[in-house]
Amino acid sequence: MAQNAPAASVRPPKHRMGRLERKNTLVALSFIAPNFIGFAIFTLIPVVMSVVMSFMDSKTGAIFGAEWVGFANYQDIFNVAKVSSKMADGGFLAGLSYFFNRVDLGIALKNTVFYTIVTVPLTLMCSIILALVLNRAVKGAVAFRAILFFPYVASMVAICVCWNFMLMKDGPINQILMSLGSDFNKSWTADSTMAMWAIILVSVWRSMGYYMVIYLAALQGVPRELYEAATVDGANKWQQFWSVTLPQLRPTTFFASIMLIIGCFKIYDTVAIMTGGGPGRATKMLVTYIYDTAFMQFKYGTASAIAMVLLVIVLLVTVIQFSMEKKFAND
Amino acid sequence: MKKLFALAMAMIMALSMVSFAAAEDTTLTIVAWDVNTTGYLTAQKEAYEASHPGVKIEYIDVSSQDYDVKVGAMLAAGDTSDIFMIKTVPGLMNWNDAGYAMSLNDYIAASNYLSGFVGMETNYNYNGEQVALPFRSDFWVLFYNKTLFDNAGVAYPTNDMTWEEYKEKAIAMSGNGVYGAHNHTWLSACVNWAVCDGVNTLIDGEYSDLAYFYQLVQDLEDAGACMPYTEITASGLHYSGAFGNGNIAMLPMGYWYVATLINNIKSGDYNVSDWGIAAVPHKEDVKAGSTFGNLTGAMINKKAKNPDAAWDYISWLCSEEGSKVTAGTGNRPAWVSEGVADVMSSVDGFPQDENSKAALLPSYVAIEIPGDPNASAISSILGEEHSAIMTREISIEEGIEEMNDRVQELLAK
Repeated sequence: MAQNAPAASVRPPKHRMGRLERKNTLVALSFIAPNFIGFAIFTLIPVVMSVVMSFMDSKTGAIFGAEWVGFANYQDIFNVAKVSSKMADGGFLAGLSYFFNRVDLGIALKNTVFYTIVTVPLTLMCSIILALVLNRAVKGAVAFRAILFFPYVASMVAICVCWNFMLMKDGPINQILMSLGSDFNKSWTADSTMAMWAIILVSVWRSMGYYMVIYLAALQGVPRELYEAATVDGANKWQQFWSVTLPQLRPTTFFASIMLIIGCFKIYDTVAIMTGGGPGRATKMLVTYIYDTAFMQFKYGTASAIAMVLLVIVLLVTVIQFSMEKKFAND
Repeated sequence: MKKLFALAMAMIMALSMVSFAAAEDTTLTIVAWDVNTTGYLTAQKEAYEASHPGVKIEYIDVSSQDYDVKVGAMLAAGDTSDIFMIKTVPGLMNWNDAGYAMSLNDYIAASNYLSGFVGMETNYNYNGEQVALPFRSDFWVLFYNKTLFDNAGVAYPTNDMTWEEYKEKAIAMSGNGVYGAHNHTWLSACVNWAVCDGVNTLIDGEYSDLAYFYQLVQDLEDAGACMPYTEITASGLHYSGAFGNGNIAMLPMGYWYVATLINNIKSGDYNVSDWGIAAVPHKEDVKAGSTFGNLTGAMINKKAKNPDAAWDYISWLCSEEGSKVTAGTGNRPAWVSEGVADVMSSVDGFPQDENSKAALLPSYVAIEIPGDPNASAISSILGEEHSAIMTREISIEEGIEEMNDRVQELLAK
């Protein structure tokens, strides 16, 4: 039986909220309010103020009374004057090279992107391998799962201090490497190249347990029939992993990679404790640069401008990832 | 009759209120850091309240780690506390730029103050306005472990020792688990000695004068006479624990370490029993007894509730009288005088030899880093290059060149 559709020209009567409905709405709002008020006070308002402050010269963190300087903070962090003069002298590449090798923002960007590019796939890889191994009914699997998850809940300071000891000159890790033929025996955090790898190592080690748990949950959801069908078709274990497991884990990988990339761009604690951004500027990251500018140099306007650069990058990455969501997550 | 009685009662009540108001104490609020663990703050409060009846002091405690940041936020929010303690010169400069600090010029002119600071107060003077006064000045001295020197049969460091003699002594003292020297990881502890000549500063954009001291520290590291920088940073070893272990012969450090040392020796936490202080060594062409230091001071908030009472307190705190109270807690006041030095050396646990007492009267105290709008940014740059030089990722020459280039670029902006 066909239903009578309302005529397009007839406007629905204005909805008046009944007493019960109003009460329900109020209840709903009161449930949302605590969270929203907290979000507004501690996140939304500071973010908006930070955007405004990035155009001001604020030495005390106050907006009122601070001088409006337009794009001066942005010109300052990109060192526009010097970079453009380098470009004029030696071409575009010379300017770019100067930006990434001499300007604080360029160096912090380069370091953060390198750290992210290496850490994200490494963490994902380690988590998947661990999840696959511990998904089987191996002896002590539960204990191993707990042990591997432990770093994620342990104190960051304690973890970093312990790793600093392990990565010291004559420390256990250097001893193992030397017994394998390496001639490197220097504190990792005191070496321009190895300091970054020390941070990557600690980051991967710390988060792989967490993502392993997520992958373990995802593995439970892979239908057994798919493996049975693959076995009937003559697929070996590797083919099964490549053609069944990995595609089935795609939504999880998508989620994990978003969280990891955003987390990597926001790295601060590990760097602050292990290397302090050094030696030199070898492990200077965007957030350590923001902290240094705001709270060591009291240039809140400049720091807000750097924070805006970070915001734009994280926003871009998220938009790109979500635009690819259909392709990768819901195949 | 009833009306008359009621009127009389009302008058009595009104009069009693007036008399109560007159007897009410003035409460001075002072913003400071680590109030409970900083011994001199309690001593100053007690001494002032005892000699100034009717005035009460209330401290507002702000954590020392984020002091400048939090005080900046308090002042920006219109805080009406009377006095703010000054932790760093750049911090004060920012607050003064934002108009939060009251000029003390009129008060000082009326009382002819400043004579005892031997010029140190100029670090709190901007464009002719004295916006704060110092009450503590932690200049650097050389701590040494007398027991280790006695055991090794090496003569104690003297107040006129040169850096070359320091190096020789450090090497002579090293071995059998003993380090002759401990140069802590900070730039100040390694190379800031260059500013002791009163000519060089860390904000001038020219750092070739630091090369001599980088070489000195690296030579000591190579000779095994001090712990390597990389080892100290990786293990997070604190200088106080290092000297407290009892295997370090000489430690150049700020005077603030005296109080810590005395307390920890008394409580038995340190493995050091007999110690002394000497003036920090000097270069051949610099006057013996020259050192550098930092200031701790106090400013009056422009929005203070009791500005006159606040000045009265500051003028007491920074004078000889207040300085003796500060000195009595093992801290170094900014006011320099024989009287203050006597109080300092009479603190229980302070070494009683003449050399240590003489080290309390330096011939010259340079400021560690002068007040300058670029001071913090320059410190960041120097700190980064310092870590690169000290980890030997770049040579001393390359590091100095980087410092020069980067700071000059900053200054040119």
